[in-house]
Amino acid sequence: MAASINDDASLAGGAITVPPARRGRRISGGYLLRRVLLAIESFLVTLVIGFIVFSLVPSDPAQALSRAQAVTAQQMADLRKDLGLDQPIIVRFFRFLGNTFTGNFGYSWEFRQSVGGLIASAIGPTLLLMGCATLISVLLGLWLGVRSGWKPGSKFDRFFTGTAVTLWSVPTFWLGMMLLVVFSVGVGPLPRIFPAGGMSDPTVDPSGIAHILDVAHHLVLPCLTLVAVTFAQNLMIMRSSLVDELGNAYLTTARAKGLRDSEVRRRHAVPNAMLPAITVIFLQIGGLVGGAIVTETVFSWPGLGLLVYNGIKIPDLPLLEGTFVIFSGSVIVFNLLADLLYRVLDPRVKG
Amino acid sequence: MAGSSRRLARRVGAAAVSVLLVGGLALFGQAPAASADSASTLIVQGASFKNNFNPWTSYVQGDKEIITNIYPSLTYLNDKQKPAPYLADSWTTSSDGLTWTFKIHPDLKWSDGQPLTAKDAAWTLNLIMTNKTAATSNGALVAQFASVEATDDTTLVIKTKVPVADMLYLNAAGGAQPGIPIVPQHIWEKDVNDLAADSTLVVPTVGYGPWTLTDYKANQYATLTANKDFFLGGPKYDKLIYQQYNTPDAAVAALRSGQLNVALVTPAQRASLKDDKDITTYSVLGSLFLSIEINRGAATKSGKPIGDGNPLLKDPAIRQAINLGIDRDTLVQKVLDGQGVASGAFLPQQYTDDWQPEEKITFDPDKANKILDDAGYPKGADGIRTDPKSGKKLSFRLGTHSDSAQDAQVAEYFVPWMKNIGIEISLEPMSFSLLNENLAKANWDMLFDRWGSGPNPTYLLSTQTCATLPDDDGQNGNTDSFYCNPEFDRLFALQSTQVDAQQRMDTFHKMLQILYTDGNNLILFYANGLSGVTTNQVKNFMIGSTDSAGNYPPQNVFLNWRTAEPVAVESSSTNVWLIVGIIIAVVVVVGAAGTILVLRKRSTADAKE
Repeated sequence: MAASINDDASLAGGAITVPPARRGRRISGGYLLRRVLLAIESFLVTLVIGFIVFSLVPSDPAQALSRAQAVTAQQMADLRKDLGLDQPIIVRFFRFLGNTFTGNFGYSWEFRQSVGGLIASAIGPTLLLMGCATLISVLLGLWLGVRSGWKPGSKFDRFFTGTAVTLWSVPTFWLGMMLLVVFSVGVGPLPRIFPAGGMSDPTVDPSGIAHILDVAHHLVLPCLTLVAVTFAQNLMIMRSSLVDELGNAYLTTARAKGLRDSEVRRRHAVPNAMLPAITVIFLQIGGLVGGAIVTETVFSWPGLGLLVYNGIKIPDLPLLEGTFVIFSGSVIVFNLLADLLYRVLDPRVKG
Repeated sequence: MAGSSRRLARRVGAAAVSVLLVGGLALFGQAPAASADSASTLIVQGASFKNNFNPWTSYVQGDKEIITNIYPSLTYLNDKQKPAPYLADSWTTSSDGLTWTFKIHPDLKWSDGQPLTAKDAAWTLNLIMTNKTAATSNGALVAQFASVEATDDTTLVIKTKVPVADMLYLNAAGGAQPGIPIVPQHIWEKDVNDLAADSTLVVPTVGYGPWTLTDYKANQYATLTANKDFFLGGPKYDKLIYQQYNTPDAAVAALRSGQLNVALVTPAQRASLKDDKDITTYSVLGSLFLSIEINRGAATKSGKPIGDGNPLLKDPAIRQAINLGIDRDTLVQKVLDGQGVASGAFLPQQYTDDWQPEEKITFDPDKANKILDDAGYPKGADGIRTDPKSGKKLSFRLGTHSDSAQDAQVAEYFVPWMKNIGIEISLEPMSFSLLNENLAKANWDMLFDRWGSGPNPTYLLSTQTCATLPDDDGQNGNTDSFYCNPEFDRLFALQSTQVDAQQRMDTFHKMLQILYTDGNNLILFYANGLSGVTTNQVKNFMIGSTDSAGNYPPQNVFLNWRTAEPVAVESSSTNVWLIVGIIIAVVVVVGAAGTILVLRKRSTADAKE
C-alpha cells in the first residue's frame, strides 16, 4: 500500500488524515458500487429504448412467416397467439424483461429454436473472428502508431499512415469481395489459396489438429478484411497522442538523464500517450460480440452478425431483441471495465 | 539497455513468424478439391436453410428440401411433375372419391433397423390432424381429412370429408413444395408433448429416404450420407453437403474454384461464367412470377372499404390501359437478359398444359391512350391526365421492395411507359415487412408482388379467394391483393374436389381466364431459374430435356441429387496448385524473415544512437 500511495502522499504533504483509498490508485468499494449501479441503470434504460424501437418496427410476422405456405385461418390466429401478438404491449414488455433476465430470450420466430441456443451457437465463431481481428488490429495499429508518432513526417510515418487511412476508407463489403475473388478464386497465375466462405470444411475431420488448421484457414480472409479496415483507428489515435507528448519537458529530462531514444519512447512517452488508445480499445472490445455484420455476411461466417442479418427480414423480433441485449450489455460491461482500469492506470483520474 | 530493445524486436519477430507459420500450415493443411476425397461428395448451395430439420414445424424452403430427402412420403413427383409411387406402391379411390386406399411397400426399414409400415404413416397423419404443433407446417394439407387408419402393415386408408383432388400431391416428396413427410412413430412418440423442442434434432436422424442426415452445423452446412440401398434407386454419390453461402458472389466464387458443385446464379453471373470450361450453366423454367398488383377498392369480408387506395383505380378503363401500356417482352429481354418467359398468366405454363388466354393482351400504348381518352381523362399540359370529376391527376403510388434490384429495374421501364399514356407513377421503396403491413391494411395503390407455385396450384389460387379478406377490424386477413369474385370462389371449391386430373385442369383454365381478364394482379414475367454446375466434377445432374428455347423443365432435388454422378478427377491439376502454393509460402516466409532481420538491425541502430 505504501508504494501505491507514495506519489499522492507527497502531494498531500504527507498528511495521513486523507483516507488513502481516496487518494491512491486503488478502486474504493463505494466508487465500484456507484459505477456498477450506473452501468445497471444504463442497461435498463437501453432495454426500455430497445423494446420501444423494436415495437415500432412495422411487422406482421405471422403473415411474413406463413407467406407462400398453406395455412388455415385458424392456424394464422393460433400463430399470432403463439407469437404473443395478441397481447397488450405492457404484457409483452414484461415478458421481454423476464426473457432477458432468465437468459433464454424466448423463441425465435424464424428459426423456430430458442434464441438463447442460437446465440450460444453463434457467439463462439464471432468471438474467434472478432477476437483475432481486434488483437491483430490493436497490436499492429499501436506498434505502427508509436513508430509513426515518434518521428512524424518520416517516410515510415507517411507510408503507413497513408496506407491505413486508405484502407480505412475502403468499403468493407468491397474489400471483402476483392479478397474473395483474388484469394479464393485465384487470379491469373495465382492459385486459390483460401476458401470462399464458412468456418470449416465439412469434408475435414471435425476434431483435432486438422480441424484447428481448417478453421484457421477459413479465418484468414475475414480476419484480414477486418484488420485492414480497422487498424487505422488504433494507429491514428496512438500516433496523435504520442505527437502531443513530443514537446514535453519530461522527455528532455529523460534524455538528459542519458536514456537512449527508444528507452525514452518506451518508458516515458508511450505510457503517457496510452490513455486515449485504451478508451478506443475498450470500445472495440465492447463491440466485439456485435460481430461484423458485413464481413460475416460476405464470408458466410456463422456468427452473431450473420444471425442478425438473417433475423431482420421477417423481422424476427425475439432474435433481434436477444442479440440487442447481448450487444448493449457487452458494450456497457466493457465501458465499466475501461472506467475502472483508468483509475488504475492514471492517477489523475479520481472519479 | 540495448538488450531490452532487442528483446522487443525479437518478440515482434517471433510473433510475426508464428503468424506466418500458422498461415503456412493452413496452406499445407488445405484439403484438396472436395471431389478428390476417397468418398465422393456432392457439395451444393444451401440457399436458405435455417438448420431446423423438424418435420413438423419447418416451413423454410431450404429446410424442406432436406427433410424431403431424409423422410419418406407416400408418393414423389417424377420428372414429368406428376405423382409417382414411393412408400405407396399403388392406390385406389372409392367411387364417391372420399376413400383412398394406399398399398404400402412391404419390408422397408427405418435407418435404425425398425420396420417401416403403414402404421407409421397413419400415426404421422393422425398427429398432424390432432396436434397443433405437429400441424405447424402441414396442417392445412390435412384439413379435409376425416380419418386415417392402417388396417394392416401394408394398407393405409384415408377417408376425407369432401373429395380431395390433390391427395397425391399433398403426399408427394420432392418438387417445389414437398408434401407431408412420414416419420418413425417409435422415435417421435416420446416427444409428442414438445415436438418443437431443440432437443428433437439428433444426428444421425432416424428416417428413410435416399439420404440420411448425419451432421450439421448451424448456419454453416448439413451433411447427408447416401442410402445406397434406397429401393427407388440409391444415389451415385456417397455424400451430399448443403453448404451455406450468404451472397451470390461468394457462392459463385466457390463454384469457380470447385469448392461448390452446384449454385444458383444471377443472369449477370451466368454471362460471366460462359467462358469457364469447367462450369455449365442451365436455365430452368421458373415458377415464380413478378407482378404489379393494383388496389381496385380494397374491402373487408363484409364489403366495408378499407385503406387509402386511390379510388380512380376502381375504373376498369384505367386498369386496362395500364395493362396495355406494359411491354412484357422488353422486360424479359432487358431485366432478365432474355432468361425468362413473358406471360400475363397467374400460373406458370409448365403446370397448366400451356394454357393461353382467349384474347391475349399485348403492348399497345396507342390503344391504351385511346381507351383513356374515350373514358374522359384528358391530358394536361404536362402530359399527365386528369379526372374531370374530382380534378385529380392520374397519379399513383407504386410500392417497391427496397432490397430488390429487380423491382427497381422493372420500375425504370414501367414509369416512363405509364408517363407515355398520361399516368404519373411515384415510387415508394419499402422494406419487406413495411410493404406487407401496408398491403394488409390496404394502404397502397400499386405494389410489386412475387408468388410461386408448384404443380399443385391450390394454395396460390386460394390467395385470390374472398376467404382471405380481413375482418372488419382489419385483422385475420391473408389476402394477396383484395381480390374477391364469387364465380372464382365457386370454381376454386369445384377444382378442390375434382379427383379427375383432366377435369381439374379444365377448371384451372377457367380460373386463369377470369384472373387474366379482371384480376388485379398484372403478371409481368416468370424468371428462369439459373444454376451453375461444375460439370468437370459432376455429370447427369439435370433431369428432363430442354424445350425449344433451351429451358429445362422444373428440377427436383429428390431426383437431381440421386442422378448426379461424380466425374473421375485427374489428380495432377491439384498437385500443380499445391506445389505453386508451397512455393508462394516459402517466398512469403523468406521475405518475412528478411524483413524481420532488417527491423532488428534498425532497432539495434536506434540503440546505438
